[in-house]
Amino acid sequence: MSPAYSPGLLRKIDELIGRYPKKEAALLPVLRLVQDEVGCIGPEEEKFVAGLLDLKPMRVREVATFYTMILTRPQGRYHIQVCHNLSCTLLGATTVLDYLKDRLGIGVGETTPDGKFTLSTVECLGACEMAPCLMVNSDYHGRVDRQRIDEILAGLK
Amino acid sequence: MATKIISGDFGVENLFEIRTYLQRGGYEAVKKALPRMKPAEILEEVKKANLRGRGGAGFPAGVKWGFVPQNVPRPKYLCVNADEGEPGTFKDRYIMSHHPHLLIEGIILASYAVGIHTAFIYIRGEYEAVARRLEGAVQEAQREGYLGKNILGTGFDLEVIVHRGAGAYICGEETALLESLEGKRGHPRLKPPFPASIGLFGCPTVINNVETLSNVPFIVLHGAESFLKQGLPKDGGTRIFSVSGMVKKPGIYELPLGTKLVTLIYEFAGGMMDGKKLKAVIPGGMSAPILRADEIDLPLDFDSLVEAGSMLGSAAVIVIDEETSMLEVLKTMARFYFHESCGQCTPCRVGTSWIYKIVTRMVAGEGRKEDLDTIIDLASNIMGKTLCPMGDAAAMPILSLCRKFREELAKNLAP
Amino acid sequence: MKVKIIIDGKTVEAAEGSTILQASEKAGLAIPHLCYHPAFAPEGSCRMCLVEIEGLPKLELACSTLVREGLKIQTKSPRVVEARKAVLEFLLAEHPLDCPICDKAGECKLQDYFEEYGLFESRFREIKEKREKKFRLGKRLILDRERCILCTRCVRYLGEVTRTGEAGVVHRGIRSEIGLFESELIDHLYSGNLTELCPVGAITDTDFRFKTRVWFLEKKASLCTLCGRGCNIFIEFHPGFPRTKLPRRVYRIRARENPMVNRFWICDFGRYGYAYLDENRQDRLVQKKGNRKTTLTKEKAVGFLTEKINGMKLMGRLPWLAVVLHSGLSNEEIFLARKLFLDGLGLEKVFLSDPPPGKGDDFLLTSERTPNKRGWQEIGIPSVPPELLSLAESTHLLIIFGHHFASNFNPAELRNVLNRIPMKILLSSHRSPLDDLMDIIIPTPVIAEKSGTLTNSDGIVQPFEPALQRLEEAVPEGDFILDLARELKVDRAFFWPLRSTEAVYRALADEIPFFK
Repeated sequence: MSPAYSPGLLRKIDELIGRYPKKEAALLPVLRLVQDEVGCIGPEEEKFVAGLLDLKPMRVREVATFYTMILTRPQGRYHIQVCHNLSCTLLGATTVLDYLKDRLGIGVGETTPDGKFTLSTVECLGACEMAPCLMVNSDYHGRVDRQRIDEILAGLK
Repeated sequence: MATKIISGDFGVENLFEIRTYLQRGGYEAVKKALPRMKPAEILEEVKKANLRGRGGAGFPAGVKWGFVPQNVPRPKYLCVNADEGEPGTFKDRYIMSHHPHLLIEGIILASYAVGIHTAFIYIRGEYEAVARRLEGAVQEAQREGYLGKNILGTGFDLEVIVHRGAGAYICGEETALLESLEGKRGHPRLKPPFPASIGLFGCPTVINNVETLSNVPFIVLHGAESFLKQGLPKDGGTRIFSVSGMVKKPGIYELPLGTKLVTLIYEFAGGMMDGKKLKAVIPGGMSAPILRADEIDLPLDFDSLVEAGSMLGSAAVIVIDEETSMLEVLKTMARFYFHESCGQCTPCRVGTSWIYKIVTRMVAGEGRKEDLDTIIDLASNIMGKTLCPMGDAAAMPILSLCRKFREELAKNLAP
Repeated sequence: MKVKIIIDGKTVEAAEGSTILQASEKAGLAIPHLCYHPAFAPEGSCRMCLVEIEGLPKLELACSTLVREGLKIQTKSPRVVEARKAVLEFLLAEHPLDCPICDKAGECKLQDYFEEYGLFESRFREIKEKREKKFRLGKRLILDRERCILCTRCVRYLGEVTRTGEAGVVHRGIRSEIGLFESELIDHLYSGNLTELCPVGAITDTDFRFKTRVWFLEKKASLCTLCGRGCNIFIEFHPGFPRTKLPRRVYRIRARENPMVNRFWICDFGRYGYAYLDENRQDRLVQKKGNRKTTLTKEKAVGFLTEKINGMKLMGRLPWLAVVLHSGLSNEEIFLARKLFLDGLGLEKVFLSDPPPGKGDDFLLTSERTPNKRGWQEIGIPSVPPELLSLAESTHLLIIFGHHFASNFNPAELRNVLNRIPMKILLSSHRSPLDDLMDIIIPTPVIAEKSGTLTNSDGIVQPFEPALQRLEEAVPEGDFILDLARELKVDRAFFWPLRSTEAVYRALADEIPFFK
């Protein structure tokens, strides 16, 4: 039982599970829902989701560790994901990354001490026409340069 | 002037709202087909139109639909492949953001043709805003009676479910998509059996790309002949090209199949950015073998690109300039496939990682004399030996890069 | 329905619906494979079994391609040879050079295939992936993640056969590895099968780890006798070095395939419970008088008993002869016992004393813990457990087969009762508290040291041959009963012609239709 989860979340999960002919099919979307609320998927969350879907916790762990967007370790409040695939690299992703490392004072894969920002690199986000591109949580930002980065960071309270 | 089958209305404000879509003639194909045409008629029309898959593989959609056995006691499913992970590709994002109802209409027609009553849109997890827009459109369509039970009073039921992925390029491969949709790791399956007989939850399943389905309303409304006229006799219709890289006007360009690559780059995409010279072009997404500057005067269609040793793939054109280091390109490629390998089969799991390790060493200035030959050999050892096409997708571009730009790359090796 | 396929120019008949790999194995043509195992559906991930099929552009998997009439397959063409080398190279690239310290050496598929299909110089000059080498996978299992080739046999076994699902594949790409959920170790009765299942030395069991090299071991077929299933096994042992006087030692038990009895598996009781084969064995045929022990020969012992029994016959005191048997004896031995004690001598006090039953499961383990209870039932000796008090009252001569007798009673009671019986003979393979109370002790071999047949709980009669050498002093129970019967001149027509175990079985089958 998980008293930490809001009834709203449990309702959303129930509704989600109901859409699929087999409960297990809802695993990935359910994991993302739980992650949105809790922050990351740890053993407790794996057990909880396993119970909801009549799965062994190992099955949940197999899935949770496979997908890049399922986070198994706590992240900062704002997860800044910089694309370093081809078009973005051609258009200056390395500069973007370096500037962010500088401004935030952390390296790739690290979180700022105040827990506000985590910096990651990701593969192609499917927004190559606005390269270089980055994603903050689920928001896309394209054609980022130093100025844009400053603006974006300023807007993240 | 060629017709823009899909993107013609992209500039219309609020096109994603059903009200606007209907004003622009939306759902006319459904209104024509469901009450008056037989499913087999639609299937025939799509077959005649030579509508080839626009996800990357190019398999004729009508033929794929025809593989689904009709008289089975199990439900049939349609999975819309909206995973769009091929680097350089963003056309499906445009279609789903601007014109979600066109996709939904295509889904309805495809489902009707094959006898499917549940369709899943597997959309990549990063496209969160797009997924919400799709869900909004699905709800609108349901409200107006184009989805749900007894559509337009014809007795045809269809449910559309938007399902989000979570960051795995391999889930764009159709059987890995099915595995992921079933709540498992995205491990591709052995084929045979093919999804048309044993697919989602063991049931007959059709998997089509977003752009492929978005062409179906046109085919139903205007007929196969019209569609074929837009392109080539063997490749009907248009393609939406995603152009990015060192061009003045990156973006999507819907053009008839057979348009020349040079034309696309210089006429439509504005040519090279100021002061940049073209060095190489990737014509069909990162997995398509690279073309040198002297190889880009060719028509963009399935066969011509195969003849040139490459492929049309996802029609994503990435333009590379003279100042870009091909070692940087190689590193990006090697890292991408290493990161996205699902790890199931030996050659891809170890091969992509080994190649990336060598390239990383080269980038760090510790290249050895034999490195390029080793990479070429390893990539050849991956080719044709893997469980799914991703092995080839990883090997081919790396092979073409190492062969066509050997001189430049060799500068990073010890003498 | 059979189809004809051609493998390397040789025409082979294959069952419809079978795969190229299955068809060639049946025809004696080996195709290398790692992830395929006949217990599971084809996985197709190792890529070792790629073969060339005429008419198809790409190499195809032998493990999952179904046979078709006229299919032409090449397993040794240049393309196939190259593909195998490529797959081997990839496997070995991230594989640690552990052979000198790895238990699997000598029975490792990777070694075998490299020797047969590889033999190339390594050109991997990068830094190998470093992983956990002593991951505690189960109570008796250790996983070396560096050696793991991700064939996923272990995951599929736990998912499909034991249905316990403890293990899975975590992470992705080259970082993939086998994992458990938290510290939920594999802790059930069928965990040991994983060490056999793993084609390389990734999963080892602590029982065998670092104890010996497999090429020092001899391997003989036998049957497990710890329950009524009769799982087919291999006993692997050092026979005892010729130059040193080291005794024989059993090092491990392996499963032997039998589609009707145990398929590919054995339980951990049988797998790890082999100490009894070597330890605590009766090794002297002795007669005890007070504190003195005199060694006897078999003939002397039989002679002594014959005298006693004939004496009792004369005095009409045969009813005072009691025999305790057990159902760990072979069909032949039980049959001979019936023919002598029940039919021949007409004894009433013939008892069955078995180890107490345990809990069975719905897989292999039966609740009865002897290997031939069914045989006993079919041969028709009534299953009467010995009653101590009645034994004490009216017994002059007690012959006990097996040492389980002691475990069913309170030691003080037992001592009391047995001390009131003038003459007690024990035939047992192992030492036990009973020994002190006996007058004559005759050591016997265990099933692994004899030949004969056993009937498992499903009624399947299984023959067995000696796997281990018995002690010189050991007297097989069957021989003993035969000798005694002959000396006593009981039912000569029946006993005299029986000169071999097979002959006894034939007589058994003649008399009891079940054994035909």
